Amino acid sequence: MTQPVSIIMIEDDEGHARLIERNIRRSGVNNEIISFGNGTEAMKHLFGPDGSGLSQKGNALLILLDLNLPDMSGIDILRQIKENKYLKASPVVVLTTTDDSQEIKRCYELGCNVYITKPVNYENFANAIRQLGLFFSVIQVPPAAS
Amino acid sequence: MTAEGQRRRAFWQILLFAAGLLVLTAISAGSVYLVNRARDDNKWVVHTIEVENQLNTLLLELRRAESAARGYLLTQGESFKADHEKAAAAIVPALDRITRLTADNPAQREGIEKLSAAIETRLGQFSQEMEFARQGQFDKAAALVREAASTNTTSTIGREANAMIQEEERLFRLRSVNADRSQTFAASMTGIGSGLVVVLALISTWLVRRSAQARDDAEARLRDSNLNLEATIDERTADLREANDEIQRFAYIVSHDLRSPLVNIMGFTSELEELGKDIFRRIGGLTNVPAGGPPVEVADIPLAGPDRQMSVDFAEALGFIKSSIARMDRLISAILNLTREGRREFQPEKIDTRAFVEAIVSTLAHQAVEAQAEIHIEPLPAIVSDRLALEQIFSNLIDNAIKYLKSGVPGEIRIRGRTKLGYAIFEINDNGRGIDPRDHQRIFELFRRAGTQDKPGQGIGLAHVRALVRRLGGTMSVSSELNAGSTFTVTLPIAWNATNRNADK
Repeated sequence: MTQPVSIIMIEDDEGHARLIERNIRRSGVNNEIISFGNGTEAMKHLFGPDGSGLSQKGNALLILLDLNLPDMSGIDILRQIKENKYLKASPVVVLTTTDDSQEIKRCYELGCNVYITKPVNYENFANAIRQLGLFFSVIQVPPAAS
Repeated sequence: MTAEGQRRRAFWQILLFAAGLLVLTAISAGSVYLVNRARDDNKWVVHTIEVENQLNTLLLELRRAESAARGYLLTQGESFKADHEKAAAAIVPALDRITRLTADNPAQREGIEKLSAAIETRLGQFSQEMEFARQGQFDKAAALVREAASTNTTSTIGREANAMIQEEERLFRLRSVNADRSQTFAASMTGIGSGLVVVLALISTWLVRRSAQARDDAEARLRDSNLNLEATIDERTADLREANDEIQRFAYIVSHDLRSPLVNIMGFTSELEELGKDIFRRIGGLTNVPAGGPPVEVADIPLAGPDRQMSVDFAEALGFIKSSIARMDRLISAILNLTREGRREFQPEKIDTRAFVEAIVSTLAHQAVEAQAEIHIEPLPAIVSDRLALEQIFSNLIDNAIKYLKSGVPGEIRIRGRTKLGYAIFEINDNGRGIDPRDHQRIFELFRRAGTQDKPGQGIGLAHVRALVRRLGGTMSVSSELNAGSTFTVTLPIAWNATNRNADK
């Protein structure tokens, strides 16, 4: 239960990743952040070499997901996470530039926990991430089904 | 069938018709001429016969006079005498008639002169004989008869008369042949002409049938192409729809992908700004350090001289970058909103336009008061349309009217409406600064604005409004003069049917 939550960040844009990380840190969250620049590597990490997700069993994860990835659709990643019995309890925060209402709806339907649109306005952006930090501090990330 | 072929056919038909007419005219004229000629020829034939007749009559009378004279001399019968006198009296008129009849023929005239001379001699003998007989000297008269018989007067008369008859017979034959020829000629001419007309009529009929055939073919082709046209239109519409969708997708994707780097630029610019503040604070701290001592950690040490200038330049540069990014972000958002609007399905519903516009105006009341503008709403026709689209159309136009009033002049905005032929025509009229007619097209283009640029705006509103009006099956236009107010006219179908337009999406 006391196991610290690791944040898995799947974001292809290095700049965005850096800005997100910086703002998470500024909000006082010191959890480990594991960053991936493409979907394939992130999937490998999440589901392990056998693709079952067993390797993450018992780990408390929080996933930050960008929808526009170069090698695969973020929506697909979201679906697979939410279909995996070891990973489906991990909260997923979709953080993307897409603000299409259809897309947002679809993400929530697939089980996304928070959907945040990256605003160009940096103050808003920083605010959104810091509130996410606040969110991290209050949520209880359950350990995956054992 | 080509237009050239059609023209050629028409030309040939006219030509045939003209030819037919010409032939008929020729036949008529020829017939009249030939009939006249035949009549002439016949007249001459009759004339010849008459001359012959007269000559025979003359000879007969002569013989009668002669035989009556002889009879009188033999019997002294008074009846013979009367007979002779009657016959002798008939001779001269008969001769005169022949002279008249043959006046046209020089050969006969010569013969008649000789004949007249001989007959005159003979008549002289007759009167002498009769004179002797009256005086009772019958033997003298008989001697005279004998003498007359011995002289060649009688034979001369006979010969000349015969010659004349021969001549007339020659003429008769000649003229008969002429008359026959005229008649044959007339008959054959009529025949050939009629044949020609029949041939022309046949060709004409054939041509008419051919053009009728061509017309039928053209009609059939027209029917076919009409059917094809429907299919072609459907095909094209599908193509256009696809192209439109493609453009929408393209705009959507491009604006998204543009936004992503923009987040970085803005983010790191802001980071840089913070960093800059830190750096200049540090510089301030360092410059104020007494020699050898530790740096002073004071937040707001004022910078001096060139350091201050640098700080100002730094802030200015970042300010320009940030305002440009913000502007770019607004443009991208606008494109995104437009494409989103373009993809939204419209829901037609009945709208009480007046109440609807009043509601819009009440949301703009604050701006109107600020601009010292009065908005008058006249009765407006109710229509069936998409509520959200209509709201955007009216609020954009009314907002523009408030925004671009003449400074210092109380604004007066009027919203009027009327119906015409199934369409509702709305007019939003203001007494504002107006638009130069040169810019009337421009203002409807995306990101284009006109006039003094003293109000915030992206140049999107009217482009958006026009796109919406078009999607609602309407049109819009502006009439305006610089400094003389503007009137925007929106024409929308009264009962808009969603099916035909949503089918385009």
